[in-house]
Amino acid sequence: MRFLISLLIGLALGVGIGLYLGWIQFPVEYINSPMADLSERFRDEYTVMIATGYTADGDLMGAVERLRRLGVENIPAYVQEITERYITTSRNVNDIRFLVTLADGLDRLTPIMEPYRQISVPGQSS
Amino acid sequence: MSRRRSPPPPPTIPEEMPPPRSRYNRPRRPFSVWGLVIGLIVGISGGLTYAWTISPIVEYSTEPWQLRPEDRAHYMVAIALAFAGDSDLDRAVQRLLTLQGQNVSADIFQQVADSACRLASTGYVDSNSGLTAIRRMMTFYQLQGRTGCADTLLPVGEAESTPRVVIDAPTPTLPPPATKTPTPVSEVEFTPTPARIIVPTSVPQRAFVLANVSTFCDASISGVIEVFVQNFGGVGVPGMPVRVRWDEGESTFYTGLKPERGPAYADFQMEEGKGYIIDMPGRSDPSSQQLVAATCNTETGQQAIVSYRAVFLPSS
Repeated sequence: MRFLISLLIGLALGVGIGLYLGWIQFPVEYINSPMADLSERFRDEYTVMIATGYTADGDLMGAVERLRRLGVENIPAYVQEITERYITTSRNVNDIRFLVTLADGLDRLTPIMEPYRQISVPGQSS
Repeated sequence: MSRRRSPPPPPTIPEEMPPPRSRYNRPRRPFSVWGLVIGLIVGISGGLTYAWTISPIVEYSTEPWQLRPEDRAHYMVAIALAFAGDSDLDRAVQRLLTLQGQNVSADIFQQVADSACRLASTGYVDSNSGLTAIRRMMTFYQLQGRTGCADTLLPVGEAESTPRVVIDAPTPTLPPPATKTPTPVSEVEFTPTPARIIVPTSVPQRAFVLANVSTFCDASISGVIEVFVQNFGGVGVPGMPVRVRWDEGESTFYTGLKPERGPAYADFQMEEGKGYIIDMPGRSDPSSQQLVAATCNTETGQQAIVSYRAVFLPSS
């Protein structure tokens, strides 16, 4: 009986320690993840990079194809959402300008974006 | 007569006896050590199995270095495109470092060159967007003094040589008003100059040598011989015949028939297990070794047939 109780106590402690180690201390590290699994921070970063590239080359279809890798269904709506979020959270002004240019290209220019709209035509900056 | 030594007398007083080391007279622990240890081992094993295998944490914070190889390449494309837009090298380097993970010792610019090479070997360059992206990557790593096979596959000069159609809209000119004084007829007779016929000079027919043969393994272009024929300036030469021979036959094909890959390019699809000899009939010696269509494993673990990239250059 004493052995059985000790075994149960040990099991309970062991399971707790095991879960702590497996979930918190040494969680599974995923590799070979698809682009769609990127964290929000890097999804934003990727979108800004694509918008910057679009501002330079004016290749809208190329930009859309590249954003499709994020697994986003409605890309214009996604670009509008991230652009407005960048504006409302006072992010880097240049990034906002690039995003606004892309949103403009996707015909998703909203009044909040107007002050950041660039006069130059995409593809003529480089 | 021997004297027997008498044994020592047993202690008579109980207090003098040392306490015997027996499990029966030790104070009883409230728990079983063995039970606890076994329980801990089994519990930790079970907990780890559950946490790592059965119900691992769903990760919402994937970083670029955790991406699969093809998506890492596309992330590099985005970095190169962004650099072309903002020319911010510090930021580009910071972004590239997020692709490194723990492996910070690797050459990040060379990784861009290698990715550009892989993408240039695939159908990614079949579209203008892809072609532009590869060129951005090339510009990016070339500025850092790196080279890659994309330099050979997509020579930089080709981008600038794309013909541009310039349409000159005719400006209407009003006829001059008639003058009252007639223009005197010139007494000098002009003799028409004979029309000059300009004959374009052809590319000098020089002997070529098979300068380089490299291999690569890619499931999307499995078992392909990619041939590039270039002249002295590294510019692709279209219309050059390339011959591939194998046991049962031979095939001759020509460079420049896939303009999206440049004028230097031609390719041939091999069959698995066969060996091929490549040459330019009448212009080069055949390859000294067979190009064997052996199986290989890609970086992603897919099985494919090894592909070859052969470059013919003029012999000096």
